[in-house]
Amino acid sequence: MKAQNAILLVASYFFYGLWDWRFLFLIVASSLVDYFAALAIKGTEKNNKQKIYLYSSIAWNLGVLFLFKYYNFFIDEFSLLFNMQQGEYAFSTLNLILPVGLSFYTFQTMSYTIDVYKKRIKPTKNLLNFLCFVSFFPQLVAGPIEKASSLLPQFNKKREFNSEEAKEGLRQILWGLFKKMVIADNAAHVVNMVYASPEDYGSLSILYASILFFFQIYGDFSGYSDIAIGTAKIFGFKLSKNFNIPYLAKSVTEFWQRWHITLTRWFNDYVYFPIIQKNLRSTIRRNFAIFLTMGLIGLWHGADWTFIIFGAFQGLLIIIERTPLTKDRKSSIFHKSIIPRYLIPVFSFTIITASSILFRSKNIEEVGIVLKRIFSFIPSENVEPLLNKRFLFFLFIMIASEIMTRSKNFPLTQIDKYINKPTRWIIYYIFIFLIFRYAGPKEDFIYFQF
Amino acid sequence: MPVPKRILYIFSFSKAQIRFLKYCLGFFIPVVLAYLALELLVLNIPINYKLFGKYLETHSQEIEVMGLGSSQVKCGFNPEFCDKTAINLASTSQHHNEDFNILKGTVYRLPKLKYVLLELSYNHLELPHHPDDYWKNTIYLKYYNVNAFERPTWFKDRLVYLSNAHFYSHILMDYYFYKTNKTELNEYGFDTNNHEGAFKKLNYDESKIATHKFKIITREDLDIFKKNTAYFFKMLDYAKTEDLKVIVCTLPLYKTYLKERNQNIVRRRDSVLKIIKSKYKNVVLLNEETDTLNFTANDFLNENHLNPDGAKKFTDLINRKLDSLN
Repeated sequence: MKAQNAILLVASYFFYGLWDWRFLFLIVASSLVDYFAALAIKGTEKNNKQKIYLYSSIAWNLGVLFLFKYYNFFIDEFSLLFNMQQGEYAFSTLNLILPVGLSFYTFQTMSYTIDVYKKRIKPTKNLLNFLCFVSFFPQLVAGPIEKASSLLPQFNKKREFNSEEAKEGLRQILWGLFKKMVIADNAAHVVNMVYASPEDYGSLSILYASILFFFQIYGDFSGYSDIAIGTAKIFGFKLSKNFNIPYLAKSVTEFWQRWHITLTRWFNDYVYFPIIQKNLRSTIRRNFAIFLTMGLIGLWHGADWTFIIFGAFQGLLIIIERTPLTKDRKSSIFHKSIIPRYLIPVFSFTIITASSILFRSKNIEEVGIVLKRIFSFIPSENVEPLLNKRFLFFLFIMIASEIMTRSKNFPLTQIDKYINKPTRWIIYYIFIFLIFRYAGPKEDFIYFQF
Repeated sequence: MPVPKRILYIFSFSKAQIRFLKYCLGFFIPVVLAYLALELLVLNIPINYKLFGKYLETHSQEIEVMGLGSSQVKCGFNPEFCDKTAINLASTSQHHNEDFNILKGTVYRLPKLKYVLLELSYNHLELPHHPDDYWKNTIYLKYYNVNAFERPTWFKDRLVYLSNAHFYSHILMDYYFYKTNKTELNEYGFDTNNHEGAFKKLNYDESKIATHKFKIITREDLDIFKKNTAYFFKMLDYAKTEDLKVIVCTLPLYKTYLKERNQNIVRRRDSVLKIIKSKYKNVVLLNEETDTLNFTANDFLNENHLNPDGAKKFTDLINRKLDSLN
């Protein structure tokens, strides 16, 4: 087990160091801070001291996150607010690279220390295992964000090779690659073209590109999650499911239960519930908690007003959905909706797509341009080059497969149970062919920037 | 009794693992073979980059002029008509950062190189540079032996098909299956049969061209403008230190395209051209963007690219500039 973990740690650090070896020091430092903070919390009975250790750990984690991700944004906004030029104030912006995966591993280590403080888990004394938990390479750079209670124990036991799990992992990687390279990258080709210069496109073209952006980001991120989960499976690990066919959500609330599930769960556990648990019946407190949680989820994605407004907008929609109109708890807009039940997913999807414009746009001005172009109903003369029938067919294949196998983790899961080997191999080869033949132009994973 | 050899744990495979490895080998060997076939088929296609690379290698001791830039220079400069030994390494979507890497990566191999043609088209300065993992870096590495990745390269960086499966799949299908490729490359890699554009389809009829829809980018981006301008000056400084004379050119655009340009972008670009003219003694300008007298509809492939006839005229203008530089 020790050897297995040591190899995993070296592999994980090598993988991370390939991007930029200098940031290995940061990940090691973050790991050590939380490792020792958790042990110190356990080592003392005094609540005050425990609090000091916890807050020190949180301060370190949020401090690192703030410095690398948010510092420049706040400095810029501060200077704008007070109409100051560079040099007129004590702080100026820094030329820092955002370490890849910072938001993911910081949240993972932070949750560990909080859980130890809350006595939900016991701290580990095994430094090697803890370093592995923080830097486990399949999910290091873009999640799923794992809780220590589910991932850390998996490093504490010797893993036996399981060929069925390994095959299952490879199948999930194949499905993830299909979603990323065929769906997301082809969608990105159209979306990038339109969003590079939205002033030059009509309403329909921009609307079409915005809908495609939803599928781009879904294919991109859920594809990555599948690759990560599949890779972990080969190594004998079980990672949490991160997506559950979000385009079938019947409400915005449900959408967030199906989209980036591990992030929503993190914010629920460490932000939303701690706020509401003091008074479960207070509507104001609950609404405030929803608004704050969603705002922070927005901010987590990036230091820009577009993300903050995106989060706040989602929060507002959830509040509206969940607020009862009468004393009857089931009298909210969602429950009393005049929209036929079967059309509700379409309605929710429209709202989510509309808000994804905020997600895609570079800044608020661009959001303004895009919305103005859409609602000006400018005819789209150049929509034909954007329509790729083959890509739309692949999109249909993805959606249909996911819906038909919605009770399973992914469409290709356990197909060896009901399809014979030659047919199975033909299916795999078809997917590999589709990936090679119809992959879109290479695009970076979107969530690497978060 | 002989002592059994101790085997390191990580190298001792269980039966299940060996069975799985065999299963994977059985599955992946056809995939690898199919990939190798694709790679070989792609390498067999006579694409322009291949000829550029060959010409670069065989004429390295003679080349005096190097053309760099995007598809506009690619279509507009035919080395065949250049009075001096020239090579045109411009290609579709090639931006200044690639131009600079190509220049830096080849200049030491070209002892006679004296002149460089750089492009500063309408929105060149407000379009972002490509990232350093741009797919064409593989082409530059493979055919020009230029490392534009700005990092040490490895085996995968040389795999052409994998660098842009999307693009090469189309090329493969066109070349081997549909056989629609009408390209006729001369020894310089210039397509002398590049007439099949929008304008030919419209029979070069000006009234039809006037109503033809085309794509033009009108988005302004001041941040990119500042970055790209600084980068372009860096390129010109480099040329100066290498004792190279530079022709900064703009290619002719058809009048419908000229009309649709964003005037703010044009103004900013023109101001940069002015600065270049006054600041650099080794640079001359060849600003042909609005030359609607010498270049008529018959010289264009589409609104913003010349056809081989237009390229002949434009190359003549380059010849005149080269003379003026002597």
